[in-house]
Amino acid sequence: MGDALTKFVEEAQGLSEHFEPQVVFSIGGWGVTQYVIWLFIAFAVTLCVILVSSRKLELIPRKKFLSVMEYMYSFVNKSVAEDVIGEGFKKHVPFLATLFFFILICNILGLVPGFKTSTGAISCTWALSTISFVYFIVVGVRSMGPIGYIGSLCPSGVPKPMVPVIWFLELFSTLIRILTLAVRLYGNMLAGHMVLAVFSIATTVFIQQALFSVSMDAICLVPSFLWFVLLLLMYAMECLVAFIQAFVFAILSASYIQMASHKH
Amino acid sequence: MEITVALAALKVVGYGLAAIGPGIGIGIATHGLCTAAARQPEMKGQLMGYFFIGAAMSEALALLGLVLFFIG
Repeated sequence: MGDALTKFVEEAQGLSEHFEPQVVFSIGGWGVTQYVIWLFIAFAVTLCVILVSSRKLELIPRKKFLSVMEYMYSFVNKSVAEDVIGEGFKKHVPFLATLFFFILICNILGLVPGFKTSTGAISCTWALSTISFVYFIVVGVRSMGPIGYIGSLCPSGVPKPMVPVIWFLELFSTLIRILTLAVRLYGNMLAGHMVLAVFSIATTVFIQQALFSVSMDAICLVPSFLWFVLLLLMYAMECLVAFIQAFVFAILSASYIQMASHKH
Repeated sequence: MEITVALAALKVVGYGLAAIGPGIGIGIATHGLCTAAARQPEMKGQLMGYFFIGAAMSEALALLGLVLFFIG
C-alpha cells in the first residue's frame, strides 16, 4: 500500500505538464498546439451540428436530434436572452446562441476520453471573453453614444459627491469582466479535468500495485475500486459543469449586454 | 529550493483564503434567489439575471486570487 501511495504522489506531481500547451507542429513560424487542433475540431463539429439541424426545419420536429437542438435553441432564446435582456432581445439571440453552442461543444468534446477541451487553455478563453467584451461595449456605444456610455457606468440617483468614486468602481468592475469571464471558464475546465486525471491515475496505480507488481498487494484492490467510483461520480459532475459553464458564459454576456443597452 | 517550496505552499494558502469570502457570498446569493423564487415563482426569470450578476461579482474575487496564484 505504501509503495502505491508514493508512486501515486510521484505521478501526480508531473501532472500539470500534461496540461501545458505543447507545440505539435508549426506553420511558417506559428506554433500549433494541441489545444488549437481541438479548437478547430470543435469549430468543425459546431458547424456540422448547426448546418445539419437547420437544413430540414419542421414545424413539429419528429427526429430526436432535431427536437433536442430546437429545445436548446429555445432555451437560449427564452432563459438566456428574453429573461435577462428583456426588450429588444431578438437581435442579440444569434450572438448568444453561437457563444453557448460553441462553448458547450468545446466542453463536451473534452469529456470524451483521449480528447482535449480547447476551453482548458487560457488563450482560447481570452479570445472568447474579448469577443463578448467588445460586443457589449459596441452595443452600449451604439445605444447611448460614446460619452453617454461612459457616463452611464455610474447609476443615476447617486449623491453628487459620490459620483466620481462610484464611477471609478464601476469602471474597474467593467474592465475586470474580460478577465473574470476568461478565467472562470478556464479555471473550471482545467480544474475539472485535473481532478479527473488525478482520480484515474490513482485507480491505475493502485490496480497495478494489486495485480502486476512483484509484491502482489491484493488489499490495494479496495482503494482502487473506491477511486474508480469517485472517478465516475466526478465524471458525472463534469458533464454538469460543462453545461453550466457554457450557460453561465452566455447568461453573463447577456446581462452585460442588458446593462449596456438600458439606462439604469 | 526551500524558499521556492514555501512560496508555492503560500500561494495555495492565499488562494484558499481568497475563496472563503466568495463562497459565503455566492451561498447568500443562492439563498436569496431560492427564497424569492419560492415566494414569487413568476419573478424567477428576472431574478436569475440579478443573481448571475451578483454571483459573478463575488466570484471575481476568487478568480483574482486564482490569477495571482498563476502570475504571483
